[in-house]
Formats: sequence, structure tokens, C-alpha cells
Amino acid sequence: MFDIEFRNVSKRYARRTLDPPEEPQRSRWKNLFRCREHKSDFWALRDISFHVERGEALGIIGHNGAGKSTIVKLLSRITAPTAGEIRISGRLSSLIEVSSGFHEELTGRENVYLSGVTFGMSRKEVFAKLPGILEFSGIGDFIDVPVKRYSSGMWLRLGFSIAAHLNPDILLLDEVLAVGDVPFQWKCLDHIQQLRKSGRTIVFISHDLAAVERLCDRALLLSHGRLVCEGRPQEVTLEYQRSTSLVSEPPVRARGLSRKIECTRFSCEAPNRTDGSPVRPGEPMIVRVDYIAHETMADVVFNVYLYWPSGYLCTQLTTGVAGTLVAKGSGRVEFYCPVVGLRPGIFLVDVAAERYPEVIDWRHRCATLRVDEGPVVLGDIHMPHEHSILTGSGESVREPEMILLDP
Amino acid sequence: MTRPVQIIRPPSFSLWAMGEHLTRLVQCRDLLYTLTLHRISVRYKQSVLGYFWAVLNPVLLLAIYTIIFSRLVNVPTHGVPYAIFAFSALLPWTFFSSGLSGATIGLPAHLNLMSKVYFPREILPLSYVLAAFLDFLIASVVLAALMLYYGFRLTTSALWVIPAMLTLAVFLTGVALFTSALQARFRDIGVAMPLLLQLWMFATPVVYARASVPQGLRHLYDLNPLVAIVETFRGALLNGASPDRLLLAECLAISILVAVVSYAWFKHLEATLIDVI
Repeated sequence: MFDIEFRNVSKRYARRTLDPPEEPQRSRWKNLFRCREHKSDFWALRDISFHVERGEALGIIGHNGAGKSTIVKLLSRITAPTAGEIRISGRLSSLIEVSSGFHEELTGRENVYLSGVTFGMSRKEVFAKLPGILEFSGIGDFIDVPVKRYSSGMWLRLGFSIAAHLNPDILLLDEVLAVGDVPFQWKCLDHIQQLRKSGRTIVFISHDLAAVERLCDRALLLSHGRLVCEGRPQEVTLEYQRSTSLVSEPPVRARGLSRKIECTRFSCEAPNRTDGSPVRPGEPMIVRVDYIAHETMADVVFNVYLYWPSGYLCTQLTTGVAGTLVAKGSGRVEFYCPVVGLRPGIFLVDVAAERYPEVIDWRHRCATLRVDEGPVVLGDIHMPHEHSILTGSGESVREPEMILLDP
Repeated sequence: MTRPVQIIRPPSFSLWAMGEHLTRLVQCRDLLYTLTLHRISVRYKQSVLGYFWAVLNPVLLLAIYTIIFSRLVNVPTHGVPYAIFAFSALLPWTFFSSGLSGATIGLPAHLNLMSKVYFPREILPLSYVLAAFLDFLIASVVLAALMLYYGFRLTTSALWVIPAMLTLAVFLTGVALFTSALQARFRDIGVAMPLLLQLWMFATPVVYARASVPQGLRHLYDLNPLVAIVETFRGALLNGASPDRLLLAECLAISILVAVVSYAWFKHLEATLIDVI
């Protein structure tokens, strides 16, 4: 029984680009009345077919521009496909975007009605669910204040609370888990888990590979509007990670970088594994950064920054604050970690060549690092440790020395 | 439990899907109702006079017109006091003009909402039409007061205001759907709208009587559906006159045609509206 079925769906956008403001070879008169737009076609999705079974949680991952948002738009009927057919059985709603329909001049309560009916509830239903929505949001007395006076957190919380009460058959989650403060995020995750247990079909679209692995039964990988692979989330995220490990993405902070040294490639290897599988906590790891130096430079520092999926810096590999002399030509920096202290999951990687305070080259989010499930652990990090168990009594157990404060 | 199955396909133009569209629209009537209410309540938020503006606006406008067209320029009204002569036509005209100008900018104004959730998009322009109708009802109270003051008595022909307003509503809906879809792609419409409405008002017997139009121009003049509607409205209330039924029927036919065609066109564009807006 399929809840969602895509059959050879394609979506073409007409990309409209504006001319640069003045073309000197034309007369001013012509410039005023010419057609300012050029059209060119852009295929956001190309011949995509997949299905989602009832009660299944499907994750969709891919780079920016891979077509994820287009799928969201098609599923929620915001736009129509150019070719192909989509079948949706049951009520579908997306979990987060509710608050974007708020009208600032209206009070929270009025907005709950407005959004509720916009997302397909009747006024009666909204009235019945109002107490639940208020309680979930924790907005309290502010409910009768115009939402333009709300903090952004309250705004989002109220939106999420409405969404949580929509009670759809199919739930569309699009980069949702960044709402509100930590307790509220827990509330949301809890809510999603509950929906999952109650047999709702879920489509989860995210950059957060770890969350996809945690939440989904199956995953799709999109690239440039095409379906690249489909399968168990672990396999698909691994494939995604492979496709990103080459330093190819244009860096965000390209402007102002001298690029006298270019970082060209990032790779990561578990030396004790011959099958090329990812590193695991507690085992060694080798990280390599290839570079090309266009001139000889002193005091150069190579850094590899590892970020949590949420974007927080987790840790750093560095060649040391003092810096080293780098000769002209190509080369490779190799970092060896005897014991990986990262917990299982996906980490985002920045690679940089710096000469403090100057940044020579910075490759922003140029790769992902995957840490597989290992023998360990709960919590955020793995601390390398050993243990021994001491049994019996008497001389084998040495009492710790006690310092008595009062004689 | 059977679930509703939606099939989404590339958009195609068809008049026959109209029934389906209307059913869907009826299912979403709660949204139309809520949006209409909010349309009105938002307008008077953070204003001291609040809903009183709904009455104050037409009254002030009326005062201006009365001074200009009965004191400065003497417009012939065939014995009817100018204030009530003008107001009885301003009422349906304001419904038309405020409904149309609101609905025209309706889609781009709700871009945020439209890019996040699907609902029948015609609800947006329609909510402006309905809100304008509520304003019309409120302002009608002023007309009733004026009629009492000047001692007008209603006759059974006053019932002709109902078909007149119905025709107007159908015509307005048709035009509003057309301009709002056009505005989504070409913002020129919204810019030209105030001028267009000004012209349209002077081509409609609002501040003067239809009888003042030279006989030779009548044929052309009557092509404007608002002529028959406004004349019917005013005549039925003030003179107890029965309207030119043929003209009104013609006008209704045109309005229905306009509404049906522009609704079908609107629905055709709707599916990919968000891509071009």
C-alpha cells in the first residue's frame, strides 16, 4: 500500500535573468523599452520515480540544488509538475512552515484560527484543539497579543504547536529540528517519535545525515534533479558522503582569500581497515589534505575543522599555532589520530590554510566525515580509557589516601 | 477508513473541471470565511476609531462629492437631493472598486503563505470581494439613514437591488480573478489600477445621471456592465422604478461569461502560479 507515489516526475523552471542595467552600445531609448528578461530552462527534477509505503519513514538527502525543496513543493501542491504524475493517499501536511502564514497584526489566537483553517482544519476543529495548542506552545498570556510583539522563538513555537495538532496521515518534515530552545526541540523530537510509532507515514528532508539515519527506514539520494541511489539510510548517507569528499564545492568565503596555497582534496581513512569502511570510535584515523602552494611561504598552519551536524564546532586538527615553512609546489598534510574520540555520526568538514591572522584558503563545508558505530558509547565524545576490575578485600585493594582536615 | 487520493498532474486548461474546482472551494469555505473576517479586522487594527471608519469613509467621500457636484458644478439630478443621489450609486461602485483593487494585489501580498501551503488560490481574491461586500453592508446603514432623513419611501421595486447586486458580485468576481492572476505575473496591473478605476468611475453614472449622457453615445456607454447595475440600484431605491430588464439580463449574461472564463483561466494558471509570481 503506497501513500505517496512519484511516477516519472519532472519539473522545469523557467529561469528568468535580468539584463545588466545598461548596455552602452544601445541607445537609452532602446534600453528603456527592451525586454529585460532572458528565459532559460532549468530542470529541477528529471524523471524521478519512487514510492513511500504506509507507515514508512523516508529520508531524502542531497546537496543544495539537488531538488529536495522541489519535491516538498510538489508534495504540498504548491506547484505542479511539468511531466509525470504524483499520487498522494491521505491528508498530508508539513510540520514547520505554519508560522510563515502568520499575520503580524493579528493576535496569537486569531492566527491559530487563520493558520489552522489554512492548513485544512475546520473552525470547529481549531476551537476544539485550541487548549492543546496553547499548552504545547507554552505561550501563555501572550496568546491575545498581536504576533508582531512576539519573539522569534515564540513565533516558531506557536507555529509548530499548530502543526503538531494538524493530525495528518502523511507528515512532511523539511529541516525542522532547529526550532526554539533545547527543551522545545526535545518536545518536537518526542512528538515526531510518537507520530512515527502511531504508524504515520513520514517524509523527512534534511541535511542532517545523522538525523536521517536515526529517524528513517529508507533514504533517497538526489543529485542535480536525478535520483542517484535508494536504500538503507546508512548506505545512502555513506554514498552521499563519498560524493562530497572531493574538495570541489565553491567556498563560501572565497572573497578576500589570496589562495597562494590551495587546498585541493580532503580524505579520511581508517588504517586498520582494508575494506575502506569508515572510521570508528576508539580506533585510529588518518586525515589527509592535499594542497598546491603557488609560492614558498613561512608560518603556514593547516587546519581541519570538524562540525556537528548542527553547525557547532566539535573539534579541530591542526599543524600547530607556530606554523611551518611550505615550499612551492604540491604537497600533502597528513594527520594521524591514534584514537578517534568522536561519537558515531556525520561531521561536517572545513579545511583551511592560514597564516595568522591571514586566511590563505578556506574550504567551507567541503566534505563530510563519517564515524561508524563502534564498541562505544553514550554521550558526546569518546574518551580513550582502560579499566581493570579489582575484587576481594585486603591488600589487593589499596585504599585511597584520605586527607583528614581535623585531626 | 478510506483516505482521499489526490492525483497531481501537469496543469491543463479545461472548462469541464469547473465542478471539481467549485467542490474544492466549498470544502475550504472556512478558510474563505476566516480570511474575510481577518481582512476586515486587520484593516482597523491599531486605529482609534476602529470599525467606525467603515462608516466615516463613505460619509466623508459623500460630503466632498456633494460640495463639488451640487455647489460648484450643478449636476442635474431630476429633483433628487444630490447627497442621496450620489450615495445610492457610490455604494455599489465602492463595493466594486475596493473589491477589485484589493483582489488585484491579493496574490503577491500573500506570497509567504502561498509558497508554504496549498489551498484554492482563488480564495485570496474572493476574500477581498467578500470583505468589500461587508463594507457595503455597513455603509448601507448610512444610506438607510439618509433615505429616512429625506423622507424616501421604499416600494416593492426596491427588491430589484438584489439582482443588481448579484450581477455586480458575479461581474466583480470575474474581473477580480482576471486582474489578480495577471498581477501575479505583470505588476503593471496594480500600478495602473487606481487610474483605471478612476476612468471607470467616470464612465459609470455615479456622480451624474445616465440621462445626462448624449443619446448618440448611449450605445457605446451601455457596454459598461456597471451602467445598468448602478442605474438599476439607484432607480429601484429612489424612484421606485423597475429597471430596463433587457439591459440587466444582458449585463448578467456578460458577467457570468466573464466569471466562468476568467475562473477557468485562473485555475489553469494557479498550478504553477508560484513559479512566476
